[in-house]
Amino acid sequence: MTTTQPTATAPQQGAAGLPGSSQPPDGEAGAYETPAWLIVATREVVVRVTNRAFIVSTLLTIALIAGFGAFSLWQSSRTTTYTVAVTAPEGSAIVTQAAAAAHQADAKVTIEARQLSDDSAARALVESGDAAVWLHGGDGGWTVTSADEVPVALGTALEGAVRADALAANAAAVGASVDSLERGTTVTVARFDGSPIEEGFVKVATFAFALLFLMAAMMFGQQIAASVVEEKQSRLVEIIATAIPLRQLLAGKVGGNSVIALGQVVLFAAVGLVAVSFSEWSALLPALSVAVVWFVLYFVIGFFALACLFAVAGALASRMEDLQSTTSPMTTALMLVYFASFGVSGTGAVIASYVPIASVVSMPARILAGDTAWWEPIVSLGIMAAFAAVTVLIGEKIYRRSLLQTRGRLSWREAFRTPE
Amino acid sequence: MTTQDMSPQTGRPEWTDLEVRGLRRDFGEVRAVDGVSFRVPAGALTGFVGGNGAGKTTTMRMVMGVLSITAGEVLWGGRPITQADRRQLGYMPEERGLYPKQPVLDQLIYLGRLRGMSTAQARTSVMSHLERLGLADRSREHVEKLSLGNQQRVQIIAALMGRPRGLVLDEPFSGLDPEAVDSMADLLREHTSRGVPVLFSSHQLDLVERLCEHLVVLARGKVVSTGTPEQLRSASVARHRLVLSGDAGWVRDLAGIHTVDIDGGVALLELLDPGAERALLTEALRRGEVHEFSPQRPSLAQIYREVTA
Repeated sequence: MTTTQPTATAPQQGAAGLPGSSQPPDGEAGAYETPAWLIVATREVVVRVTNRAFIVSTLLTIALIAGFGAFSLWQSSRTTTYTVAVTAPEGSAIVTQAAAAAHQADAKVTIEARQLSDDSAARALVESGDAAVWLHGGDGGWTVTSADEVPVALGTALEGAVRADALAANAAAVGASVDSLERGTTVTVARFDGSPIEEGFVKVATFAFALLFLMAAMMFGQQIAASVVEEKQSRLVEIIATAIPLRQLLAGKVGGNSVIALGQVVLFAAVGLVAVSFSEWSALLPALSVAVVWFVLYFVIGFFALACLFAVAGALASRMEDLQSTTSPMTTALMLVYFASFGVSGTGAVIASYVPIASVVSMPARILAGDTAWWEPIVSLGIMAAFAAVTVLIGEKIYRRSLLQTRGRLSWREAFRTPE
Repeated sequence: MTTQDMSPQTGRPEWTDLEVRGLRRDFGEVRAVDGVSFRVPAGALTGFVGGNGAGKTTTMRMVMGVLSITAGEVLWGGRPITQADRRQLGYMPEERGLYPKQPVLDQLIYLGRLRGMSTAQARTSVMSHLERLGLADRSREHVEKLSLGNQQRVQIIAALMGRPRGLVLDEPFSGLDPEAVDSMADLLREHTSRGVPVLFSSHQLDLVERLCEHLVVLARGKVVSTGTPEQLRSASVARHRLVLSGDAGWVRDLAGIHTVDIDGGVALLELLDPGAERALLTEALRRGEVHEFSPQRPSLAQIYREVTA
């Protein structure tokens, strides 16, 4: 009989499904459900990275950084040849000396003489651009004539050669050697802190950090605020609020955007480091890499601290047009950080490297300059982490309070007072 | 219907009433909703009717928990509603909107997943709904490319997908063409036949009259009437139309009759006293011919004006 078996097994199945058995009571409770914040974060990431404007701006920035690297590479591999028009035979001798000196200073610089019969031919050659300068003798010295500015390397080399030539002649006239005349005239530059990194390089790197942070924080911060207000304006947030806790929505938004912001900054930093490795500063790469790692670390926590506040700014607004005023506390703070990064030095820079958000730029700059004790970045990072924790806590509260308010724009002050 | 849905948890039918009791909401000094109580019975379409500012949206937002309640309570199956219960309700807010720059299918799957559906479940449900509403071939398009009516359909799907255990829809029919109204009504009836309670607001009274099994009329933050359309009708005073050969102006002077309107020989009357009918006709026949004397079935619009007056 076909019906015997099912009736016999049915009670057993029932028993296995009883509460307290090892079987999950039903499919729904046993099935794994993706956490809501992860669903939200995934959407934020997908929507962002498939956005045409985002892709274009990212590629453009990478192209810009790579372009800098390529330019540096081309610049450093390029040999420059200067032609000097001369009319007197002594001129050729000086150019030969200058060429040797210039080559010693920079292997990629070549200087060659072009002997011409008269002054007008030499003048014509310079004017046509085929020669950089015309070296001609006058009473008691030489004159370098050019159509416009004399290239620094060429000018220095020619001046040195003329000086050495005259010095040798003058020394011979008084019966002394050149060495004896030059004794004690050399100056050696030294610093207490060994071989420091060029100040100019630190400035450039600081500027890069500041710009990168400002751009990323503004762009992604505004993005978070805009995506919050988009949902609020369209009342999508009401549908979402009935489905998941608002805390999860906030976590997903901040998390998703932080991941993209971080990804973009890491990408830019990596391309930047590669670019630097092709530049004349390639020797500074190890020190720079350390500073960049610190910068990325600071960036993550600093951005996270701001991200919640940007989400709050979105929740305070009720239309896109309100964002400009509700985000102004953050944009003002970011601009201050940006300008402070070049404006302060000495004690000011030390203080800035401990102030949350400002430290994102100031501390990596100090690390790069090599004037931090090992514990300083750790303490400063701790301060910022504490600050981030506070903004997340406060931000989450205001976000929940103001997100479902539909009656116009709230001020930050009102949002604090609004009951839940 | 013979095929009732069984709850996987309890093995009982999924028939659960939604009820609000003494609901109140103050905005500062303004009392937008004032002690509203009504029941949305399982398996029935309940129309929520009221003028602008009557408090419909405020009430629905409180039911869905997106607006805090000043006083009163929302009950689900007789006990206070929880956030987990609300998660199983389909909700359509008053103001429409979706992510303009995301494809239709993607964002509906996203909203479904937030309600706990798997991607595959959500996709199946979304595609079958798109099919029903004639939008299947536009699933990959960005929402901003759709017409407003089509955007509205997408938003309806967002509320209906995934077998919700109840529906709260704020003006779901506004902006739809007659054809879409019909397919939307069919869809809603499918849900009520599953045994779920459906509450929808509207100010298109003819539509509400045609669709609803149950009505809640709101005016100035208070419930002024509830019941089936028939109950509402029987509660209202019956009207009669009288057509005479001569002028009907004299009707005004008769006792026990309220004259609603007189236009030449045509009068619209409300008979207040039981004996008034006889007196009226006797007098009319004395004066001339009576071409017509018929009871008028009051339209919902009429009842609405009465109860909200």
